[in-house]
Amino acid sequence: MNVKERGASRKAAGREVRQASGKTAASEKPRAKGGGCCNRRCKRAAAATPHRASLHTCIHTHTNKHSDLRYCTAYTVHSTSSSIHYKNFVFVTDTQLKRLFILVTGRRQTYVGRIKFAQFDTVSTAKKIIVATEENVLAALHLKTGEIVWRHVFESDSSGNIRLLHVGDKITTVTGDNPYLVRGWDSATGVLMSEWSLTMQDGSRAEFSEFWVQNGLLVHMVPIYHSHIEVTMYNLMTGSNRGATSKLPASWIDPGQVISICLFTAPYYTCVSRDTPSRMLLSINVTSNPIQVIRRSLSSIMQGAPGHLRALDGNSVIPGLIVEDKKIVLFKNNDFKVLNTDVPHYIASATVADTARGPVVMQIQSSRGYHLIAHTLSGELVPEVHSPDSFYDIEEPELLAVTCARDQLACRLLMNTVDEAVHLVQQGGVILWSREESLANIKSVEFVDLPVSEADAALESEFDQKEGSVWWSFVRRLQSQVQQLQVLVERLRSGEVLEQGPASLHRDYFNLHRIMVLVTEAGKIFGMDNLSGSLVWNLYLPTLSGARTILTRRAARHPHTAMITIVGTHADTGNGYIVTLDPITGRIVPEHTVQLDLGILQCMTLQETGDDQLRALVILDEDEAVQVYPPSAASLVHNVHMYVADPDTAIVKGYAIRYNGREVVSERTWSSYLGGSRLARIVSVSSRSRLERVRSPGRALADRSVLYKYSNPNLVLFVLEKTDPTHKDVVVSVVLDAVTGAVVGASSHRRARALPLAVHADNCFAYMYRSDKHRRVEIATMELYEGKDRWSPAGEPFSSSASWRAPVVERQAYILPALPTAAAFTITERSLTDRHVLLGLSSGGVVEVPWSFLEARRGAVGEESVLPYLPELPLPAERVLSYNLTLPRLAALHTSPAGLESTSLMLATGLDLFYTRVAPSRTFDLLKDDFDYYLITIVLAALVLATYGTKYLASRKTLKMAWK
Amino acid sequence: MSQLKSNKKFKWALDFNPKNKSQTSEIPSPPGYSQSTAVSNAESSKDTDSNLLLIKKLWDVALGPLKQVPMNLFIMYMAGNSISIFPIMMVGMLIVRPVKALFSTQGTFKMVEGTQAAGQKFVYIIGNIVNILLALYKCQSMGLLPTHSSDWLAFEEPILKAEHIGGGFSML
Repeated sequence: MNVKERGASRKAAGREVRQASGKTAASEKPRAKGGGCCNRRCKRAAAATPHRASLHTCIHTHTNKHSDLRYCTAYTVHSTSSSIHYKNFVFVTDTQLKRLFILVTGRRQTYVGRIKFAQFDTVSTAKKIIVATEENVLAALHLKTGEIVWRHVFESDSSGNIRLLHVGDKITTVTGDNPYLVRGWDSATGVLMSEWSLTMQDGSRAEFSEFWVQNGLLVHMVPIYHSHIEVTMYNLMTGSNRGATSKLPASWIDPGQVISICLFTAPYYTCVSRDTPSRMLLSINVTSNPIQVIRRSLSSIMQGAPGHLRALDGNSVIPGLIVEDKKIVLFKNNDFKVLNTDVPHYIASATVADTARGPVVMQIQSSRGYHLIAHTLSGELVPEVHSPDSFYDIEEPELLAVTCARDQLACRLLMNTVDEAVHLVQQGGVILWSREESLANIKSVEFVDLPVSEADAALESEFDQKEGSVWWSFVRRLQSQVQQLQVLVERLRSGEVLEQGPASLHRDYFNLHRIMVLVTEAGKIFGMDNLSGSLVWNLYLPTLSGARTILTRRAARHPHTAMITIVGTHADTGNGYIVTLDPITGRIVPEHTVQLDLGILQCMTLQETGDDQLRALVILDEDEAVQVYPPSAASLVHNVHMYVADPDTAIVKGYAIRYNGREVVSERTWSSYLGGSRLARIVSVSSRSRLERVRSPGRALADRSVLYKYSNPNLVLFVLEKTDPTHKDVVVSVVLDAVTGAVVGASSHRRARALPLAVHADNCFAYMYRSDKHRRVEIATMELYEGKDRWSPAGEPFSSSASWRAPVVERQAYILPALPTAAAFTITERSLTDRHVLLGLSSGGVVEVPWSFLEARRGAVGEESVLPYLPELPLPAERVLSYNLTLPRLAALHTSPAGLESTSLMLATGLDLFYTRVAPSRTFDLLKDDFDYYLITIVLAALVLATYGTKYLASRKTLKMAWK
Repeated sequence: MSQLKSNKKFKWALDFNPKNKSQTSEIPSPPGYSQSTAVSNAESSKDTDSNLLLIKKLWDVALGPLKQVPMNLFIMYMAGNSISIFPIMMVGMLIVRPVKALFSTQGTFKMVEGTQAAGQKFVYIIGNIVNILLALYKCQSMGLLPTHSSDWLAFEEPILKAEHIGGGFSML
């Protein structure tokens, strides 16, 4: 089957799955009506796959009332990565169908980001929570499960910034930044109902404008300092202006001289006057008709208050302020009302909610475990609404929204935490659901191998011991066999199925099961099971910030546990912060967790390991001194080089790291200014992946000679963007040898802007840029070759400092009919499989592009192994790995080799997480899923039987013949 | 069946009890038959004729492989250089036949004694070697011989690292 056909069948298969799920829903009715097996629907597959006659799906419904099993016949799904072919009858439930879909497409988890506004949608029948987030996402969360019902992802820049969320009988949002877009959404489906735009004449004041909804009208308020407040009201649906803009005279608003701070809590605009002897709290209701300024001296509210205000959180039903993190002041009847109850802690979050006993002030804090208290406005404690002294892992909660039942005191609180998790908590303290929204912003990903099971570890250690006589090894063999037998008996007795449940975090045979360590922007670190997508552990490090990188220090190998190190900066000091974890359990290894006194310039791990299998961490600090962790590994440092690129100045420096017998020192060996005469900026850097291995030293040509690859492992690709007087912007790519600093290859593209996407593997380089001249995105590739003769004798290690010849640089560029936002190479265990480039597109798909489409030798004359050159790169829909799933804001693609040579594991991060397996050369090392074990077994058994039968018959016949 | 059996009996059975042994010897020679002349004549003619014949026959055998060369060339030409089942079978036959013949040289020339035996063997072997070379040439032109560097590419050692690098953007 050629590539095209295969893809077509896969796509058809994807469609089939959806059709199937649709059919199951559609066939509900006849089942209820008819008595017997009533409904049978057959759908021939698309005409695009005429060669595969079996590609059809039949869904029968069955009248089994106790289980919603459905018969599905000849269920065929094909893809490049996995091929599923269910013949005969398969029982499919809805969940199984979902699982099957996941198997084909991969697994997606959807997120919305850190929640900015939230409101309970109590109007519509299906209870939901409408949220607007800092990722510019508007979504509806299911009240019971927390799952996303619908979601809209707005533009990621300021034009998508959500400024107002109001939930009435429909949802109103105000997004953008002058012009503002006011949109109305249907809360049940998320369908856009109305949209109009609002533009302010004076754009400079736009940042101070405030919006809220009052009596079905959108109110827009802008304070004009030293002068007045402008208030305009608009019809929510149409945007028609009810009358002119009213200007409220308020000359006292001038932050700086008279007024120190102003705060808006709809509809009150409140300021604190600066004059020290009697600091006044001035407030104005901007919608009231006769303008009335309410005043009160701060000292009457709280003695010695310097004048710090903050608004009540979580859609307070009565507008109010918290003065000095202590006193709650509410606005009632156009006056201040100071509550008797104080805010217990400076990080406590408070709101006023409507309950069966009238408005109640609720306060939560987590200084000593999560704590909830509620008071009525008169200061009485409401004993029903409280939380027991629980020790939930809720970090610094902030109330987002509260809803309470009308008839009884039962409340639900939606809260945000500082680690960007969202919890829906019942008043008793029960967490109904939680969402880890920090996963919408992942900085760094590492795939970690799981440890082998105990039995395998024993086996490994048995063969590790080289010393001892034959008898000792025999005794060891017997011991381990007894152990294996014990394990087997135990497993049989407990009826436990192998490789199930979260407890069995053991390496599987093909090493497909991994832990993905995810480091998020918020400083929360997660361990995620790649097969189930469930979070195995999480760890919140509030002080970890800045650029982060994960380095594997040690793979799990009996008796050592695995270890990874996260290198970042400390949030408070800006110095280096090194955290070492066990990636399987998420426990910090304290002896390898260090806070440095200096900033980190760069870091790497050594190739060689010490006795404890630990790869030492080499850190180049801001003084260009070297620190090695653990220090005992210093003697292992030899032939180590580092490079540091400054993105803004385009200066790259190379360092040689040496051990001089006493300590490890660095020496700057080269420095290179890549920009030339003009100011330049490095957009992206790409060096060879640590997991990458080069198998073949060359490639065979049509005349059966070998074109040897220039597989220098020390090459680094830099993509720069610089301005040019004649060609405006120029993109320059430079391939440097990081050991010597020599330029190995370079190319430039005029009138283009670089995209921060560059990938490098083996001798292949690819980077993307936007061509301003042609207004399109192009992908440029480079390949380096030594020529027809190999430069170094086979088996000799490659040394950059010893090589003096310049390789042949092949270059090519292609037009990409999409905007890529992420790129990666597939990596396989031994690099025998084809190499594909995975592109994450702005349209939300992950596309695989074979390197043969991109290679720089494409179009070479007289070459039958390379394709003829065509500038347009096809991105057929059947090459989309994510099928119909849209992954908004794809930020990065991470690949890792599986234990199977054919397979590469891929995780796409962005707003969503998407995990799947990629098989660039198809799964050549796996039996097909439709492999008929029964038939093969039966045929083999029949053949053996027939052999013995005929042998017996033949001998009988010869005996008879002999007697004649 | 019985007929066959009786035939077999006649074919293989030795009768140790000849009933009329005396009768055969007592038959008189036909008229004009001289026993002495017949013997001497047969001796001389047999000696020259059969020897010549044998040598001629053996030369035929020895020259056989060489005579096949033009035929083989024609077959090779007709088979073409494409790799498919029939050309491969032909090339296989071209190689296998002379090799087999070389191994069975001793058997072929078993009964040969005389002055020309060495020459015949030599020519026979040469002929077969020529055939093998022709087949090899055919393999070569079909691209079946691993004579190019790309044929040994899979066995070449992958590149090892002498230096280790690390780095990237400044983390400050």
